[in-house]
Amino acid sequence: MANHGLLWRLPWIAAVCVALALIGPGLAGVAGAGEKPKLVVWWNKGYYKEEDEGMQKIAAAFARENDVEVEITFTIQDDLGPKITSALIARRVPDVAFCFFNDFHISPRFAWDGRLADVSDLIADLKPRYIESHMSTGRLFSKPENKWSYYAIPIEAQALGTHYWKDLVKEAGFDPDPKKIPMTWKEHWDFWKKVQINLRKKDPAKYGKTYGIGMTSSSRSTDTIYNFEQYLLAHRGEVISPEGKVIAGEAKNREAIVKVLAFFTSIYKEGYVPSDALTWTDGDNNANFHNKTVVMTPNPSISIPGALFFTNKDAYYNKIGTILQPTSPVDGKGYPYLVAVKQVIIPRDSKQQELGKRFVKYVLDVKRFTEYVKASNGRWFPSFKDVAADPFFNDKKDPHIPVVTDQFMKNETRPFYFSYHPAYVQVYTENVWGKAISRVVTEKWSNEQAVDEAVGRIEQIFKSWK
Amino acid sequence: MDQASVAAPALLVPMRRERWLRNTLLGLAFCSPLVLLFLLLVLYPILYMIYMGLDREIYTDIFGDPIFVQTLWNTAIFVGFAVNVKMVLALTMSGLFSVENRFARILSGLFLLPWAIPSLPGILAFRWMLNGQWGIVNKILNDLGFAGYPWLVRRPTALAAAIVYHIWKYLPFWTLIFVAGRRSIPKDLYEAAEIDGTTPLQKFRFITLPMLRNLYMICSLLSMVFSLGDFVIIKIMTGGAPGDSSHVLATLAYRYTFLMGKIDWGVGTFITALPITLLFIFILICWVK
Repeated sequence: MANHGLLWRLPWIAAVCVALALIGPGLAGVAGAGEKPKLVVWWNKGYYKEEDEGMQKIAAAFARENDVEVEITFTIQDDLGPKITSALIARRVPDVAFCFFNDFHISPRFAWDGRLADVSDLIADLKPRYIESHMSTGRLFSKPENKWSYYAIPIEAQALGTHYWKDLVKEAGFDPDPKKIPMTWKEHWDFWKKVQINLRKKDPAKYGKTYGIGMTSSSRSTDTIYNFEQYLLAHRGEVISPEGKVIAGEAKNREAIVKVLAFFTSIYKEGYVPSDALTWTDGDNNANFHNKTVVMTPNPSISIPGALFFTNKDAYYNKIGTILQPTSPVDGKGYPYLVAVKQVIIPRDSKQQELGKRFVKYVLDVKRFTEYVKASNGRWFPSFKDVAADPFFNDKKDPHIPVVTDQFMKNETRPFYFSYHPAYVQVYTENVWGKAISRVVTEKWSNEQAVDEAVGRIEQIFKSWK
Repeated sequence: MDQASVAAPALLVPMRRERWLRNTLLGLAFCSPLVLLFLLLVLYPILYMIYMGLDREIYTDIFGDPIFVQTLWNTAIFVGFAVNVKMVLALTMSGLFSVENRFARILSGLFLLPWAIPSLPGILAFRWMLNGQWGIVNKILNDLGFAGYPWLVRRPTALAAAIVYHIWKYLPFWTLIFVAGRRSIPKDLYEAAEIDGTTPLQKFRFITLPMLRNLYMICSLLSMVFSLGDFVIIKIMTGGAPGDSSHVLATLAYRYTFLMGKIDWGVGTFITALPITLLFIFILICWVK
């Protein structure tokens, strides 16, 4: 009987399946014993195809020279961040991971959890080449090991600049030369307000919806954090001490935070910032700038002019200006620029940690890395002095890149607060400053109330990171 | 009585048992892939999630987050308004599309379009239409002499926008279900009512509504379960803005898990909603039975 035969064969079929399932991976291991070691690399997709092509070439050369297989994939940061987070939690990891969100969301958190490999040896090799403030961002705390060490490899950075439309400034009756833009605090912001007023007076139909200041003020955007904390330094305020203690509640710091919040909320409420800035994502100030809804926007990279380099040389060279930040309203002096340094990580669960380190070192070779970082067209500034010395970063004919080079090389720079205590990554993810702005603007809280809530939340977060 | 006829019943019992065993084993063998998948992909993750969610500290932490309670309210408002308004409208609209004429058929075809449009472009289109600076809604208001409004910059209107999109998107589907339900009501009930001289409203109240009562309840409960886990609409429409005031549980859990790396908080967020979801499912099962 066919049915009967099938019935009694089933246990045997099942037994064979189970046996294969059990010994299959072992057999695969035996079969693969003679194969080359494989390095799995997750790399952030670049903004230009030249960046990805450059990295692919580097990976291929590394594979050839070291007789290994390199599996490299490129993913945009919005997807790659959650992907790396999931991988680290699940402990099924790549061997090397580079994401633009590593510094703000991933490295401090997972170094704290002991999920990242110690890369101090690699950092020691690279130390003579590093810009000091960049290198220090890789030094993080591991709770299981109870020590500070290097758990991330900083490679490139960005800091807050400002871009503006020269033609709109001219149209408003002002000299658009970057040297003529007022750079003392009050005069600087009054200038952009006057530009808006003049434009709207001149042609209400054309400029009725053009705003003087494209200030990102939303809880959805990391730009809000950049802007707020950079201007907090301008007001001589601090949130965290270098020892990692919350000092935002101290009278001097609280007062500075209130002043910065009042600055953000007043320019918004007075109508110099587009109403939707309260919901902007990181790309929205770029979009508003490109469609000329705003005359100027503070932005933490030169992605705005960079986007036009290949498509509109006239705009890149003649119509967009790039400047740095105005002087402190407290004492009229300069202040340190916050640098967000993008980092490569090697997970502790990687079985190819040493090969991963060799790969990163290979990528960071002066010649190779110079070519790679140049392909980003100035969006990123290298964390290495020898790479930054390349003529590309000092070409005086370029109206944007040398401004950034001066910002990094001639000004004081310092890392964001997560370098002082990893709990601050949660403060960033919760975007307490964006939330405080929203409290004042949409829920009619006072600036003081909103600051007290934000500071209280920061203290609460720090207490939970024990 | 010969010996063979006495032995026959005694032989039949083991034969029947063998046949039962054979059929049962064969049935189990055929079911086993599905059972295995269910155990691996449904039961194990749920039990593991509940195990992870047993830590009380999680709830102290997430309730300490100033936006968590507001998020619970948002979820209740989103699900409560979106589902109920949508279902009442769907029931009403199904009356129009049950009318048998050409115009109603063409209209019902057009009416299905929002359901056919993929979510992402639909939500983005809504978002741009409601943009405070150059959105078409404010443009029309301005042209009519009214001031524009920053729709997505205020919590009530941002949530309302998400609710309106949800209704716009899913109304056709549920309307279609109710049209099918209406068509299954015996026509002679309406004919008898007509002979008795009932008005259309009376027909709806005394025939349609009681006949569709079970279907309406089941659809509402199902829709509530679906909507409780809705992530895409809020994520794309508001992203939680302004100031994280428009999050729902699904978007907040995503943020906890994938942006903060706090999987326990993400689990805790879902566990908080689990009693409500289970209650809906329990009522649903009881109703179906």
